[in-house]
Amino acid sequence: MQLQLKNLCKQYGTKYAVNHVNASFSPGVYGLLGANGAGKTTLMRMICGVLKPSSGSIRLNGKSMEELGERYYSHLGYMPQDFGFYPDFTAREFMLYMAAVKGLDAKTAKQRTDYLLHMVNLQEAANKKVKSYSGGMKQRLGIAQAELNHPQILILDEPTAGLDPKERVRFRNLISDFAKEKIVILSTHIVSDVSYIADYILMMKSGRFLLGKPMETVTSHIKGKVWEILVDSREVPIYSRDFSVVNLHHENNMVRLRIVSDTAPAIDAVTAEPSLEDLFLYHFGEDAQSKRSDDYADEI
Amino acid sequence: MLMKYEFLKILRKKSTITVMAASLLLTAFLFSLPILQYQTYNQDGVIKGSAGIAYTKSQYQDISVPITEEYVEKTITEYQKLFENPDNVGYDGSEKFLIGDAYWNFVAPREKQLRMIASAYDSPGENSGFNKLPELDLANGAKFYQMRNEKIESLLNAPSRELSAQQKEYWGNMSSKVETPLQYGYHEGWEIIMSSFELLMFALLAVCIVIAPVFSGEYQAGTDAVILSGKYGKTKLVTAKIISSMLFGVLAFTLHVTVAFGLPLAAFGADGWNLPLQAAGLTIPYPFTFLQAALTNLGVIYLVLLAMIALTLLLSAKMKSPFLVLVILVPVLFLPLFLSPNGTAGAYNLVLFLLPYRCAMPEIGKYVSYQIGGLVLDAFSMRAILYAALTAVMLPLARLGFQKHQVA
Repeated sequence: MQLQLKNLCKQYGTKYAVNHVNASFSPGVYGLLGANGAGKTTLMRMICGVLKPSSGSIRLNGKSMEELGERYYSHLGYMPQDFGFYPDFTAREFMLYMAAVKGLDAKTAKQRTDYLLHMVNLQEAANKKVKSYSGGMKQRLGIAQAELNHPQILILDEPTAGLDPKERVRFRNLISDFAKEKIVILSTHIVSDVSYIADYILMMKSGRFLLGKPMETVTSHIKGKVWEILVDSREVPIYSRDFSVVNLHHENNMVRLRIVSDTAPAIDAVTAEPSLEDLFLYHFGEDAQSKRSDDYADEI
Repeated sequence: MLMKYEFLKILRKKSTITVMAASLLLTAFLFSLPILQYQTYNQDGVIKGSAGIAYTKSQYQDISVPITEEYVEKTITEYQKLFENPDNVGYDGSEKFLIGDAYWNFVAPREKQLRMIASAYDSPGENSGFNKLPELDLANGAKFYQMRNEKIESLLNAPSRELSAQQKEYWGNMSSKVETPLQYGYHEGWEIIMSSFELLMFALLAVCIVIAPVFSGEYQAGTDAVILSGKYGKTKLVTAKIISSMLFGVLAFTLHVTVAFGLPLAAFGADGWNLPLQAAGLTIPYPFTFLQAALTNLGVIYLVLLAMIALTLLLSAKMKSPFLVLVILVPVLFLPLFLSPNGTAGAYNLVLFLLPYRCAMPEIGKYVSYQIGGLVLDAFSMRAILYAALTAVMLPLARLGFQKHQVA
């Protein structure tokens, strides 16, 4: 199973929401990171066939989406960001309806519905109307419907947005359970979510992929660029102005700063092991845009 | 399965129940008005409601006969004889009329029939009531059907109608198919139905209000992305949405029609279903019974309904919210309510007779016809063809609109 994006573009007027993206996905969990407006949702919508690209193509095992038609969609599971439900349907009815949309026969639809509602811990609320559900319950129902057809491609757009920490952990585990042998593309701007479950990290900025690397090596190129330094609290504003400060921690009258910078912020600064969050801030920090040139990856 | 859930989606909405209940109540109220307001008279005064209806029905027992030349002659002769007695005649300064027992015993029980007979002797557009009856020369018989044919001939040749030779021939042929002698009888319920068809437009609007969110509601609720990315989201689902909307529309409308027809028929009776339409208007050219005419017009209204559902679905597929759909749809349905025809010829009138609201009106006695090349179509046929064609064009466009919808 290979999903290929070739020169994929989405243009609104003169602005590119997605700008000549090339990528090839094989089974694995891909964490798609990017600030708001980076083009993540637009890219996912195009992959899901609900938004037409301005140019370029999406191919599954060498065949274009248009060529495959219904066969393409039968491999797809999609959980859009903030998608709506039918408030007057129960969760079970919603699942059975979605199963019908996905082309499952009645028997399979019922079996999968029962199984998935159990998996997402909604079996007891299965016959309650969706309008009575909390945000977390709706998100769980959202991923359950995406899994109905055993999709080979699972697209999850900000699945943990709006969830409390406990729900987020539960949700991450669910995604891990569902992700086996699939291409899972998971967008988020919550870095910690993907650091636990992603095999690959894709970073998107201004409609293009900034980098794409396996989780283990993704931070390697900022090794030696993450610093820690203990400064007087009065100096914090100066450092904040001049550098991307990832974290600050008060220690007695001093403040320990974690900074991402190409050069040492001070003589006494020491390098630290880079994390995904450091990487995110390295590329998306307030000053990052002005400081760094557009070193986009041509192909992921 | 998809159809079941799409149907359920429509039915489950509170707005569906509310709109349908309100619309049914309105329909029941509107079609009850002729019953509640019905009144007739006898020498003792006004008889209202069901008592009035029963009284009218009893009056028809003696006059439910074939309108033969002999019957017409006999009736007019009797009228003339009564007129010869000055005690029976009143005068209001402009016209003379029968009064007293002569009126109550002879005219009152057969007033409608007498008007129908007298109308044969009026020129087109003229309504002299019974004024011409006293002086009619019956030496060579009543010539009732000859007069009717001559009147129709004059109607067709009236310059204001601007009818072509083919159109005149079309109407002439149709009119010649009306079987004579005409059977006369009680037909009150059917006359009310024939004159109230346009009130069904409120039911049609209610159906469209309920159908309006079928596509746009998905966009508004944000469910479009998830269903359009499903295997059948752009194929079988669209078909299921269209069929369930049509099915709901037809069933809901039929419920309204049952109420709308049921009330007057229950109150006035179904009597007269097999009488010729000419009992209500002598120059009506259609060779239909009341039931045939009502069903024909109802068939046209159902085609209008299907076309309006198709238009609603098309707008729904193109618009972001159901409200925007209705902003366009309501004027389309009800604008003709505020426009009146100023004749039966000319582009304005001919288009007006084809607009949805006007289409509900049977216009059976107006000789409204359309000529396309050598083909002449009466109003029923033209409307049926037009709205069937509109449905056939708009449904694929609605389907395409949803398939091409971009989630943004």
